[in-house]
Amino acid sequence: MSVENSLPKGTAANSEAPPARITEPTPKPQFLSSQQRALLLRVLGTYGTIIVLVLMLIVFSILQPGTFATPNNFRNILNDMAIGTIVAAGLTVPLVAGDFDLSIGYVASFCGMLIVGLLSFNQLPIPVAILIVIAVGMAIGIVNGIIVSKVGVNAFIATLGTGTVVVGLNYAYAGGIPLQLTHSTEFTDLAIGRIWGIPHLIIIMALILGLLWLVLNRTVQGQHIKAIGVSAESARRGGVAVDRSRIVAFAIAGTCAAIGGILVASNLGSGQVTGGDSFMLTSFSAAFLGSAALKEGQFHILGTLIGVLTVAVGNNGLAMIGAPIFTQFLFSGCLLVIAVALGGIGRRYGKGA
Amino acid sequence: MTMAENSSSSTDIPLISLRQICKSFGGIHALENVSFDLNRGDVVGLVGDNGAGKSTLIKTLAGAHDPTSGDILLEGAPQTLSPPSQAQKLGIETVYQDLSLINSFNAAENFFLGREVAFGGGPALFRFMRRKAMADTAIKGLEDLNIDIPGVRTKAVERMSGGQRQIIAIARGAFWGHKLLLLDEPTAALGVRESREVLELIRRLSSKGLTIMMVTHNLEHLWQVCNRVVVMRRGRKVADLASSETNLEEVVAYITGAKQPAGTLAQGASA
Repeated sequence: MSVENSLPKGTAANSEAPPARITEPTPKPQFLSSQQRALLLRVLGTYGTIIVLVLMLIVFSILQPGTFATPNNFRNILNDMAIGTIVAAGLTVPLVAGDFDLSIGYVASFCGMLIVGLLSFNQLPIPVAILIVIAVGMAIGIVNGIIVSKVGVNAFIATLGTGTVVVGLNYAYAGGIPLQLTHSTEFTDLAIGRIWGIPHLIIIMALILGLLWLVLNRTVQGQHIKAIGVSAESARRGGVAVDRSRIVAFAIAGTCAAIGGILVASNLGSGQVTGGDSFMLTSFSAAFLGSAALKEGQFHILGTLIGVLTVAVGNNGLAMIGAPIFTQFLFSGCLLVIAVALGGIGRRYGKGA
Repeated sequence: MTMAENSSSSTDIPLISLRQICKSFGGIHALENVSFDLNRGDVVGLVGDNGAGKSTLIKTLAGAHDPTSGDILLEGAPQTLSPPSQAQKLGIETVYQDLSLINSFNAAENFFLGREVAFGGGPALFRFMRRKAMADTAIKGLEDLNIDIPGVRTKAVERMSGGQRQIIAIARGAFWGHKLLLLDEPTAALGVRESREVLELIRRLSSKGLTIMMVTHNLEHLWQVCNRVVVMRRGRKVADLASSETNLEEVVAYITGAKQPAGTLAQGASA
């Protein structure tokens, strides 16, 4: 009776197979050999977003050297994208853990209304109001995390549900009409002010990005979040508290969405009912674009920053060359699809090609 | 009837004793009254056909399954092994067939997955990893086992060969499991040369006094490293033999059911 049933295919043949493939001439003359094609896809998956960004910078600089390629314009771009970057960076954390959060835009909108209400109607001191609103955002994130991890509802559906509930809270709170900030220029100064010529928004963005980078790359929690994103089962077997880590990830996303909402309200001087809704799409777009920057299809904070920058530079450039407003939507939509495609290419062709 | 049961009644206490372990999933009895002892330094090969209960038995020892009935004694004292974190706390480590490595992490990070060395206390969010200390320890741990794998702190394990990944997974298990190491098909996905390296590592671990239980389909590999063979068939333990006192034909006969344990109704058994 034969008892030898080990499977020596694949690994054992490693040393011989590739050379045989190289020396074999391809039967048909092709534009690219399979190896060149794999290399191209790998480059696209790893540097695709950066290539798009650099191309846009070059093209717009040539088209509009006087208005686009100026320090002032770049400061404007950074300032305009700061709030979106904060929300997108927060979203990146659950994405790293492998979870979607569709509620962030609605959380930002609700938190923007809430902060104006707390300041104008309840006359709370600014720091207290900010802390309350951040706590609300964090609490929504924790609820998301519990529903997804403990109850086991698919994150996509769960956060769509909680997001819709948050829209309901928003309307219940303010009746669906914008809230005016009655006084307190100190609050609007939060977003509009500058230190040594640098807008507060850019400083806050830099601080939060740095903090999130530290959390993901230097803390035990970040290590666990990354591990879960690769294989939750392996992480669990290694002793990682998987559920708790997912809840923390959602809490971070909720907190960042709340901060985004507060800054939107501060920037506008009022609470707009749908003021933060658009962050959902732009954040996903940025995070997926970022996954095709430097890290072969993995979500990461620096990538998300590059992703937001790509969208912002595109929109700014289109406005500068006088393209009609609809082109910005076409651009953003196409970019999102391309971003997801690039990220997928990075994941598939990134390793060992 | 067998060596193991004789030794269990003697003076020294076995590392782990299973007593009448049963495990059912709904109406399916995956394990029925399985009893055996693991003595310190044993390298036990667990064999049997598909569905014989090998995996359920390993998972019971790993703490992934709670037995429906029966007792587990660790060094003579009754002990619950589940959940897996409890088994790990007690010094029992498992290397599953999928290796449970995080592909994008390097070997050192995988070594310390879930047990990161860190500055500070409190929640994981406020503990900062000591990456250098972890990498140094992992490298030293591998050196102690004479394992030479380059890029322990720089190379993601997904860029390593199947053999290297298996060796890293086993070394990790041996590093944390000071009492018992459970291996699920450690050579199933490997080529000849890589299998030899993995078997070599298992022998080295055994010579350092680690107790090992491995599931395998490959009886030749079993003979190269195991001093005992436990044969499962249809949820029951049908044989528990010292490797030196049995042979391939006998083990195969037990696996296929051609030979049945003494004391049961041996219909058509050749012996």
